[in-house]
Amino acid sequence: MSEMPGLDLTRLRARAVAVLREPFLHFVVLGLLIFAFNAWRGAIGDPADRRIVVSQAEVQRLVGQWMQTWRRPPTPGEVDALIRDHVKEEVYYREALHLGLDRNDEVVRRRMRAKMEFLAVSQLEQQTPADATLQAWLDSHSAQYAQGARYSLDQVYVTARPGDAAAEARAKAILRRLQGGADWHRAGDPLDAPAHVEGADAAALSATFGPEFAGAVAALPVGSWAGPVRSGLGLHLVRLRRVLPGHPPKLAEVRQTVENDWRAATLARREAEGYQALLNAYDVRIEKPK
Amino acid sequence: MSGISRSTLLAGAALLALALAGCSRSGDKAAALHAPVLADTAVAAVPENAFPDQVYWGDTHLHTMNSTDAILFGSRLTPEDALRFARGEKVRSSSGVEAQLERPLDFLVVSDHSEGIGTGRELFNGNPAFMADPTLKRWHDLMLGSNTDQETAARELIGAFTHQKLPAPLMNLGNLVRITSSTWEQQLATVERYNTPGKFTAFIGYEYTSTPKGNNLHRIVIFRDGADKVGKIQPFSSISSPNPEKLWAFLSNYEQTTGGKVLAIPHNGDLSNGLMFALTDFEGAPMTGDYAKRRARWEPLTEVTQIKGDSESHPYLSPDDEFADFGKAGFDQGNLDLSTRKTKDMLAGDYAREALKRGLMLQQKLGTNPFKFGMIGATDSHTALSSAGEKGFMGDDASVEPGAARASHVQTNAESGLERTGWQFLSGGYTAVWATANTRGAIWDGMMRKEVYGTTGTRLKLRLFGGWDFGAKDLKGNFVQAGYSRGVPMGGDLPAAKHKGPPTLMVNVLKDPLGANLDRIQVVKGWVDKDGQTHEHVYNAAWSDPDKRRLDAKGKLPPVGDTVDLAHATYANTIGAAQLSTVWKDPDFDPSVRAFYYVRALEIPTPRWPVYDAVRYGAKLPADARLKDQQRGYSSPIWYDPKG
Repeated sequence: MSEMPGLDLTRLRARAVAVLREPFLHFVVLGLLIFAFNAWRGAIGDPADRRIVVSQAEVQRLVGQWMQTWRRPPTPGEVDALIRDHVKEEVYYREALHLGLDRNDEVVRRRMRAKMEFLAVSQLEQQTPADATLQAWLDSHSAQYAQGARYSLDQVYVTARPGDAAAEARAKAILRRLQGGADWHRAGDPLDAPAHVEGADAAALSATFGPEFAGAVAALPVGSWAGPVRSGLGLHLVRLRRVLPGHPPKLAEVRQTVENDWRAATLARREAEGYQALLNAYDVRIEKPK
Repeated sequence: MSGISRSTLLAGAALLALALAGCSRSGDKAAALHAPVLADTAVAAVPENAFPDQVYWGDTHLHTMNSTDAILFGSRLTPEDALRFARGEKVRSSSGVEAQLERPLDFLVVSDHSEGIGTGRELFNGNPAFMADPTLKRWHDLMLGSNTDQETAARELIGAFTHQKLPAPLMNLGNLVRITSSTWEQQLATVERYNTPGKFTAFIGYEYTSTPKGNNLHRIVIFRDGADKVGKIQPFSSISSPNPEKLWAFLSNYEQTTGGKVLAIPHNGDLSNGLMFALTDFEGAPMTGDYAKRRARWEPLTEVTQIKGDSESHPYLSPDDEFADFGKAGFDQGNLDLSTRKTKDMLAGDYAREALKRGLMLQQKLGTNPFKFGMIGATDSHTALSSAGEKGFMGDDASVEPGAARASHVQTNAESGLERTGWQFLSGGYTAVWATANTRGAIWDGMMRKEVYGTTGTRLKLRLFGGWDFGAKDLKGNFVQAGYSRGVPMGGDLPAAKHKGPPTLMVNVLKDPLGANLDRIQVVKGWVDKDGQTHEHVYNAAWSDPDKRRLDAKGKLPPVGDTVDLAHATYANTIGAAQLSTVWKDPDFDPSVRAFYYVRALEIPTPRWPVYDAVRYGAKLPADARLKDQQRGYSSPIWYDPKG
């Protein structure tokens, strides 16, 4: 939030500069000692250091922040107050660090952690990965992107509640007739799902018939009526006609998905690595209560 | 049969054999089964079916940490997390629980609140411009605190927002634009990256959150287009105007300036205290024909069921409907933030069935039906996790993710004294769209046609066709083809009658393969008589075990039974039916009056999510907690007009 849309910034800046030329301000700035401190950027001064410098840049920052809130430049008196408040905050901040108050404050700890985590990953968001990077990712995660086997099959549905022995027996009787060459088009009960399936993978079968059915199909013989296979819908007699084996996809076919996955995983890894690097500098001992 | 699912492979489709075939047996009703396309847009165009005979499941309403209230509640998940979860991946929730859908969704609309989108993240990060405001500083501090602190911050924010008392830095749009525009830009980029035509559709959308005095007038906005068009605009928010007519003007301007397409979907009439389907405009003036036209144009759908209650109908409005009490407890006593108690006279403006009836009446008066909408379900989850369904419900927001306490968690409005308890929240719904392909264009067009239905989380498959000459024999053949060629699907208008006699509705409902059996199919009819009086009737049209269960003199049906085992949070499909179908004829048809018909399909009773919490986490449930429900689906209506 460094700029305010809709404001005449040039005019505001000119007035701000005029304020900064006030002699009293020079007095304040010169009157304070030399030690760069920029809390905004996260640099932390040595709490033992007894010098506080409020640089010109720091004063400009305070004025800019003030302008963002109030949409006008501060008066000299207001600048004075801003600086005094800043010095006061700095003094208290260092004294608090000196007393170790930051260490047991949950809010301070969580906020600092959030900042560190953000620093670890912020650059990666915009980066465009090279083809070689994505190809390497695809190669090392090929199972995840593999086009699964595709099944072509016919199925005859028999309505059946769980544990319905009569329905089970009926399904078996129909199976025997189908195996004997009966017309499958006229067999079984109606169902609002395809009887004739062409080239569907496990996910597509699962979406229509449920995962139980999709799992069972892979184990069926090709070319003959088999079953009954139980699904969440009832019983099915299935003739698996053809299985097209799966194959690993080319990068071009799945590029966007691979890039999404690579980015998400790399973000997580960088953050973990950044943390690990810091963690390595510590000797961590955990004493669990007995 | 080939006609029904002829697929046309377009340019460059060196794709795997996508063939689909229809059915080849005479007794078969089915359509084709798609092999999903594993490909990017750049590679091949997605084949489309001749008829929109494939159902696609999705959530049209979901919030991530880019919504200010969601992040205040503790959500730390991004739009990217939301999209990964929806397409079936494992995601770690804000409270650290691993979550994964039992099966993926086909589409998702990440619909964060446009009001100050992304400012919650800045608040969390301690943006100095915000920290100068004592209230914002307080919320910032609470955000870093416990679950209870976070919820306090979120409720204070919602209260301040709904009563126009937000701290000045959050009301100043000029001031916020750097945050909101960069958030919007990033969100668009993420959604674009996850949109995979043929496999998973990621829509660009947002929520317009108009809430005058705590009364819910929210709309979800869904674009048909990509970032090339939508990137030219910033989302319109209720801070600019709480009047939805201004939103419509904005949408109209979007279409004119970009050549794009967009629609809006109101939700939570149940929390609007009579305003959502009022007979007046926003300012309280009588509705005009022009208003009715614009409303019907921009708002073709209504979200009737979600986590914060079910807005189909209410026992007060539908005293003869014994199933109208679903999802009412806790939500029919007040508005969104419980700041104002609801009175009985408000109910008629809150619920969809009544609105459909009012629409017929207004059409009689104004020449246009403003409430001619299709019906959908959604989650409105603020956890970034679209987790409808009792078994895997991840909570309304991040402060009430799974655990022993959430079912008894009480939310109180200190001023009104009104309360809402955790168990009263529903697990949320999903939207089913009949479409020719899984693409933005095909699914959005299905929404615009109202060829959609909503469920309370189950994925039952519901087909409805209206016509004049359907008969039982049609159900024995390919009824989908018959439906499209001799009638109209859900969301349509009955064509002019060719001969005398009542309209016929052909209905088929197939259970969710991972869910409960079906109890019954009902047809809900609404009509308006010559005096402008509205009426409704709920007909039982098909049910399980018809040899044992008979209609009584009043048309009521004995209950289906109950197999729920509360101690283990289980049920058995030993009652109910896997599939129900019927051709229903209106026994009370009057060709001279306007009417609508929609289908409600009910499952057998199953345990609600608090029962799963009791089994999993040892949750102690309040004595009045509702433990079972009959989950359901609502079709979009088919309308009849004497003038054809």
